[in-house]
Amino acid sequence: MRLYRLVLAGFGLAFWLPAMAAVLNVQVLDDHGKPIGDAVVSMVASAATAGDPPALPVAQTKIIDQRRETFLPYVEIFRPGDRVVFRNSDTTRHHVYSFSPTRSFEMVVRPGRSTAPLLLDRAGIVAVGCNIHDHMRNWLFVSSAPWLAITDAAGQVRFDAMPVGKYTVTVWHPQLSPRQPPVERQLDVPADRADMKLPVTLSLLPDPRMPMDHNRMQY
Amino acid sequence: MRLTSILLLLAAAPACAKAQNLQWHGYLDYRLVAGSSAPNWTDGGLGKLRWDGHGVSARFGGAALLATAQLSPELLGVASAQFQTSDRRGIDLTEAWLRYRPVSTTPWRWSLRGGLFFPAVSLENDGIGWTSPYTLTPSAINSWVGEELRSTGAEFRLERRGRSMSVEAAVTAFVGNDPAGEQLAARGWSLSDLVYGLGSSMREPDLAARDGPPPRRYDAFVETDHRIGWQGELTVRADDVSRLTLLHYDNRADPTTSTMFEGQRIFSWHTRFWSLGERTRMGDWVLIGQAIRGSTAIVPSPFFHTETGFWSAFAMVAREQGRWRPALRLEMFGTRQRPDSLAERANEHGRALTAALNWQPRSWLRVTGELIALDSSRTERRHLGLAESSFDLQAQLGARLVF
Repeated sequence: MRLYRLVLAGFGLAFWLPAMAAVLNVQVLDDHGKPIGDAVVSMVASAATAGDPPALPVAQTKIIDQRRETFLPYVEIFRPGDRVVFRNSDTTRHHVYSFSPTRSFEMVVRPGRSTAPLLLDRAGIVAVGCNIHDHMRNWLFVSSAPWLAITDAAGQVRFDAMPVGKYTVTVWHPQLSPRQPPVERQLDVPADRADMKLPVTLSLLPDPRMPMDHNRMQY
Repeated sequence: MRLTSILLLLAAAPACAKAQNLQWHGYLDYRLVAGSSAPNWTDGGLGKLRWDGHGVSARFGGAALLATAQLSPELLGVASAQFQTSDRRGIDLTEAWLRYRPVSTTPWRWSLRGGLFFPAVSLENDGIGWTSPYTLTPSAINSWVGEELRSTGAEFRLERRGRSMSVEAAVTAFVGNDPAGEQLAARGWSLSDLVYGLGSSMREPDLAARDGPPPRRYDAFVETDHRIGWQGELTVRADDVSRLTLLHYDNRADPTTSTMFEGQRIFSWHTRFWSLGERTRMGDWVLIGQAIRGSTAIVPSPFFHTETGFWSAFAMVAREQGRWRPALRLEMFGTRQRPDSLAERANEHGRALTAALNWQPRSWLRVTGELIALDSSRTERRHLGLAESSFDLQAQLGARLVF
């Protein structure tokens, strides 16, 4: 009877170990060690994982605000099938547009109004501007990667319940030079780790957004 | 009365700014000035700085009002006027233009602009009424643009926008601006934020008043020969961070023609120049470099012609984020009159160092301390019994209310 229990426990452990889920904290910093917000961290399994990837959430509609001639947030993440609405909280008209191959569009947004939801049906990066105020910039990151998150002001994202396995982690930010190769890291989530940290350092170009400044004309 | 009107307009502007698609911007500028500099052109002299004389004094720096009207998503109207008491007292129009720029969902975009506008020379002066956000006093190059250059015409611009690089080309056809260049020949370069507009006139050094008693004044923006001038511009932007602009300007003035202004003959100066500028951002800092080289010529009679070659270059580093924004600029300039056989040629060369510190405690308030050290040599100073070389210092502490 004792032997039977031991064998049963052994089988149970064998099944339980690969299914153990780890917590992954990604910390994105710049060359000077300062945290980088608005960095998109996406992960795909590069080999068989012991568990299922998280199910894609149901389609959502997210709002991009325009306030003081600035898009807020600067970067937003979407899943294919999500929709975006542009809201104008300024007292002046905006003309939101994109010529990105992923999704091209143009919409005039009157003060205090919002656009109709715009379907983002394909994965890719959509650069958004305002044809009236050229200094306004916004990025829509559309991805079907199972693990997808955006760093907060502390430069951090957290992924819970990461199944044991090997992953390719990609970090993107609009101020990475387009001439640089993608920032990728290979990650191994072993069975005996419950808490993992992945530091990533990015070299960013200066922020192209110019805050509203009464001393300059931005037309 | 005019001062009262503009102050009323400035006071009413914030309320008007709430109106949809019509926005008002402006500034009101007062300064404390200290220095030791020679009498400048506003007093008929050959000094190169805006404020001449010695000691400390309070000065009115100027006021400007700018309206932008987004008439449709594609059509933008911009007009700006300024009030000045230096060299003249009055209101003049510095810019008035309409731009049609349809949205494009391809990398290509075009626009058409018509009206009165500054040639796209400056990588430094992008403030209201040709002001610089970095210093009170612009470089010699952009001081001259504010004084003498204004295009009344049409500009066609074509852009090809890319993720890492964008290219745009523009060509402008314009009328007016035939006397532009006269001041470079008569006075040479200056370092001054005294901008002139339509409806104003500019005094020349009294030495230039050869066919009448001084003061000799002229309007740089008139058409005298009915020939169309042009300018072409090529700009390359890399990574949304740096910008390189090459520009050629030619007013195509007929140098044999002239017009009368306040009883004095004003010639058409055939002025041409090349300008190359680079602007690069490094974090919160910006590096700007610009060089210009050209000539201006008149042929007042079949027996006499003269041409003044001119050049200038500057490099500036400035911080453009945060409450404290220092700026440092080093520049050189020169002119050379030809032909060499002329008995009294007006040649000059000089260099200047400008250091400024801006403090912006509020979005509507900018306090700037600025020091200019200028070392110049001009042959004509001998005619006034002065040494050719002059060293001028000017310190300013300015408070500018902006909205």
